[in-house]
Order: sequence, then structure tokens, then C-alpha cells
Amino acid sequence: MAAAQNKVKLFENVLNQEIISLEEIKKLCFSGCPEEASIRATCWKLLLNYIPPETADWKSHLKKQRESYAKFIDELVQNSVENDNDSSTKDHPLNTNPQSDWNQYFKDNEMLCQIDRDCRRLSPGLAFYQYETKYPYGKIFKSNHETNPLRKRLAGIALSAEEIHTNKVGTFQKNKEIKKKAPEQLSDGEEYHWEVVERILFVYTKLNKGQGYVQGMNEVIGPLYYTFATDPDQSGQENAEADTFWCFMNLMSEVRDNFIKSLDESKVGITHKMQQVMEVLEKIDTPLYIYLTKNLEVKPQYFCFRWITVLLTQEFDLPNVVRIWDSLLSHEKRFDFLIYICCAMLKLIRGDILKKDFTAALKTLQVRLY
Amino acid sequence: MAAGPYNYSYIFKYIIIGDMGVGKSCLLHQFTEKKFMADCPHTIGVEFGTRIIEVAGQKIKLQIWDTAGQERFRAVTRSYYRGAAGALMVYDITRRTTYNHLSSWLTDARNLTNPNTVIFLIGNKSDLDAQRDVTYDEAKQFAEENGLMFLECSAKTGENVEDAFLDTAKKIYKNIQDGSLDLNAAESGVQHKPSNGPRGANLGGESSGNKDPCSC
Ligand SMILES: Nc1nc2c(ncn2[C@@H]2O[C@H](COP(=O)(O)OP(=O)(O)OP(=O)(O)O)[C@@H](O)[C@H]2O)c(=O)[nH]1
Ligand SMILES: [Mg+2]
Repeated sequence: MAAAQNKVKLFENVLNQEIISLEEIKKLCFSGCPEEASIRATCWKLLLNYIPPETADWKSHLKKQRESYAKFIDELVQNSVENDNDSSTKDHPLNTNPQSDWNQYFKDNEMLCQIDRDCRRLSPGLAFYQYETKYPYGKIFKSNHETNPLRKRLAGIALSAEEIHTNKVGTFQKNKEIKKKAPEQLSDGEEYHWEVVERILFVYTKLNKGQGYVQGMNEVIGPLYYTFATDPDQSGQENAEADTFWCFMNLMSEVRDNFIKSLDESKVGITHKMQQVMEVLEKIDTPLYIYLTKNLEVKPQYFCFRWITVLLTQEFDLPNVVRIWDSLLSHEKRFDFLIYICCAMLKLIRGDILKKDFTAALKTLQVRLY
Repeated sequence: MAAGPYNYSYIFKYIIIGDMGVGKSCLLHQFTEKKFMADCPHTIGVEFGTRIIEVAGQKIKLQIWDTAGQERFRAVTRSYYRGAAGALMVYDITRRTTYNHLSSWLTDARNLTNPNTVIFLIGNKSDLDAQRDVTYDEAKQFAEENGLMFLECSAKTGENVEDAFLDTAKKIYKNIQDGSLDLNAAESGVQHKPSNGPRGANLGGESSGNKDPCSC
């Protein structure tokens, strides 16, 4: 108890400086952020360069960033062609001109459906995303109780919005089954946490057209939104959507190479990173390396493609992912460090693997939630 | 059962391919666990399943590689095709685009596996007949034109799922019996187990002598 309080003190001492030393914050975060007093949310925002080390600037900076996000929402979510009643435009839904707004609109719909499919299934092992947020669209971006326009849009596309039946137990309310209504059945002012994530991803994809939406982005955004939306600080929680968006942008700018196919074989691409895992493993555990590569002929893409692409979010449950990210985000060479974590994971299960044949070893390697 | 260290005499490698969200992982889960996993997360890279079946009195272990449908992951998923004896190619009967993409999946399957690989076409989600977007007849015709076996299945109700996996195995087994599938050929996707039998191409070197810990 005393030790935990001591830890909070250590963090607070650094965070209360006028100009925060990032070096010291990194050192502290590396061994895990305490849950108290908004510390993790603040540290992550610092580590992801979302807020500057000068504490006096936070207020104005956050205000500005949150307002720009609200503008994106206005342009990209609120005002689509559908709602554009300007009769002077010659555009119409059957326009096949690729420049046509309607044409773009239908393309976006496809993307939106994909995001929707993935977000509905976000962290199925954790009930969190299936709960309603206290800060839905209507409350944050509109003064009235308007519904998220994306929900209406999806309903219009007549996605087979079959009620997905889950009985997963949540981390927050163990053993209590959640009664889930399809989002269409929620009343106007209400929305689920996963719908917020869906909106962030939609805006992100619209703003990063060259890259588009790639499955796995939904997983990378998960720990960020979770951390900000459970921030003990009320204003932090209220602005979780905008803050997540900006932090996700910054994080993606570092890991986007994993999501770009043409880079696969290059030095920055995923193939190279998977190779690095094997190289490090060879050095730190030669027998395991030999058993995997020579005896079993297991290739790294059979198991660590997912580990690396989505930054371990699928291998542990969310609260543990968040703890691992404390270290990952604070390490000087963030994504080289990831490679070492992968090797540590292999070392932890080495005894198991060494006894197994190809199929069984792969199953062990692929188990989610260690 | 042969008195060997294994309780099966063959291993067949299968791959499951097709667009994202068509239900590949659910089909695998239905086949191995006999359950429908409605909230199954999308696949990143590849996942595995195994089940031991019996064909003509022979125990066969199916080693099933469930791949990701996302286009972005194609470059990586292609590395999983090597040495597959069977390929289940799946589309969603309620989404026409997933059917339209079949020719590109078929090209991949043909180019990256061997000529004897049995390709089985599955029209999944047959329980959603009301939302059907691809007719049975046109898919049947597509299958015939391309020499594929074909069934409509539902990973949800389980309809025809067993049959699709088993029929593929029967066909592979038949190919072995009549000699059209050479077990000694590289990448046949079949591994013969009894120690005195011929050894097929390596499926990833099941360490011999070990009791298979996964005799599920
Ligand atoms: N009604 C119905 N829904 C199904 C069936 N099979 C799968 N689904 C649903 O379709 C969605 C996608 O299923 P998955 O098995 O994850 O699809 P996948 O092909 O593995 O997708 P990727 O891993 O992204 O390539 C899930 O929401 C399932 O609940 C089926 O037979 N009937
Ligand atoms: Mg899948």
C-alpha cells in the first residue's frame, strides 16, 4: 500500500513540474503507471507527443486539438452528400464519374461497413466496449440529443445488423451477463463505446485516404481509447474521443509501415521485423531457435505476424496490454523493444514448445491470452 | 488402430481462404468445436485448428490453416498455401462481392499449391437465405467449370460443414489410393505416419517418436 502511494508520489513529483522531464517520465512509466489520479492517461499523452512538456500550455493546446477534431466530425461525419440539400449541384446517386461525391459516398460506405463489422467485435473478451459511454455523440458535438449520423448511415446500408449474441464476462462486472441491444435499439442520445471507436476510425480513414482502413487498426486503437475513456479525470473522460484520435494518429505514424503492403519486404516492413525476432531468439535461446526453425520448420509469420502488427493487443487481456504498453511507449527504441518482448514471450513458453510437434507447438504459439 | 506412436495414419494440410468476413474462422470453429462463435474476432495472419477424422477406416489428422481475408495481409497469407492438400475456398452467399472475388482466390490457390490440391468451394451463411445475393445454381456452375467440389454451408447451424471437410478428405484419400497423389512428391500436403510407410512431404516436421500431445 505504502509502496503504491510512494509510486504515485514519484509520478506526481515529475508531473507537477512546470516543464516535465520526458526522460524521467519515461523511466517511471517503463515499470508501469499507477491507476490513480489520471496518471496513465497523462503520461501516454506525453509519450505520444500529444501534449507538450510545458504544463502551462496544456489547456490551450488540448482545447485547440479538441476543436479541430470537432471540425473533422462536422465535415466528415455530420455533413455528407446525403445531407447536402444544395439543389444547384448536378451530382446524383447514379453518377458514375469517379470524381462524383456520390461515387465517393458509396465507396466510403463499403469502408464504413468493414469498420463496423470489426468494431462490433472489438475485444470480445472484455465487456467494456459493449457498455454505453457517458459521452455520446449528441452530448459532445451537439447540444441537442442527436444520434451519431454514422449509425443512421449504416442502418441505411441495411447491413445485416443481426443481433450479435455474446455472453462474455466483463472485467468490470464479473459474472454478470450484459444485456445487449443492437445499436439501432438504443435511444437517440445513447451509444456504445465501440461506436465511438468506429467514428474515430472512420474519420482517421477519411483523412488518410492513401492508406485506407486496414483490419488491425481497430485493435491498435483499443488500448488508447480504453485508457482515456476510463480516465479518473472527468474532463479527460469527456474528451476521450478527440484525444484518442490524435494519439492514434501519432502512434500510427510510427507503426503504419506494418499496415502498408508495399513495404512488407523492405527494411521497415513487417517481414524484416519478424526476421529480427528470430535473430534475437537465436542469440538468447539457441536450442529453442533451432528446434523451431530446423526441427519444426516453423516460420515467424506463422505466429508473430499478429503479435507485431497489432502491438500485442490480441495476446493478453486489455488491462495487461495496457501495462505492457506502459513499457512499450516509454522505451527509447519503442518498436525494437517490441521485438524483445516477443522473444520474452517465446522464452516463457519454451518448455511447452520443446515438447511438442509442429501442430501442437503452433497451437501453443497462437493461443490468445497467455 | 496401428500400434505406432500415433493414433492416426495420415496428416492432411488444409487451408481456408476467401474474403474477409465470409465466415472462414467460424467454419473452422464449427468443424473443430461443433459450436458457432458469433463474435469471433477477425483473423490477423493465420490461425490453426486440428481434428482427427476417419476415412475408409483410416484415421486422418486434419491440420487446418485458417487465413486472414484482408487484402492487406495477402502477401503474408500466401506463405501459408505451400503444401496444402486441400483448400476450402469460401464466399458469403449474402454478399455478391465475396463471390466476384473467387477467381482471384482461385488463381492464388492454383498458383501456390500443387496440381493435385483438392479445392472445395463453400457458399457460407446458407441460414441467411432471405438475404441471398448469389444463387445456388450459378455457384454450382462456376464450380463445375473450374473443377471444384461445391456445397452451401452454414457455420451457424452447422449445415453441411462436416460434409465439406470430410468430402475434401475423401477426395484426397482417393487420390492417394489411385496413385494420382504422390506422397513422396514435394509439398503433397500429406504425411503418412506408420514408421514403415512412405513419408510424404514435410508438413513442418512433426518430430517423430513423440507422442502427439494434441490427439484431440
Ligand atoms: N448468419 C451467419 N453468420 C455467420 C456465419 N458464419 C459466420 N458468420 C458471421 O460472419 C462474421 C464473420 O465471420 P468470421 O468467421 O470471423 O469471418 P472470416 O472469414 O474468418 O473473416 P476474416 O478473418 O476477417 O478473414 C461473424 O460476425 C460471424 O458471426 C453463418 O454461417 N451464418
Ligand atoms: Mg477469420
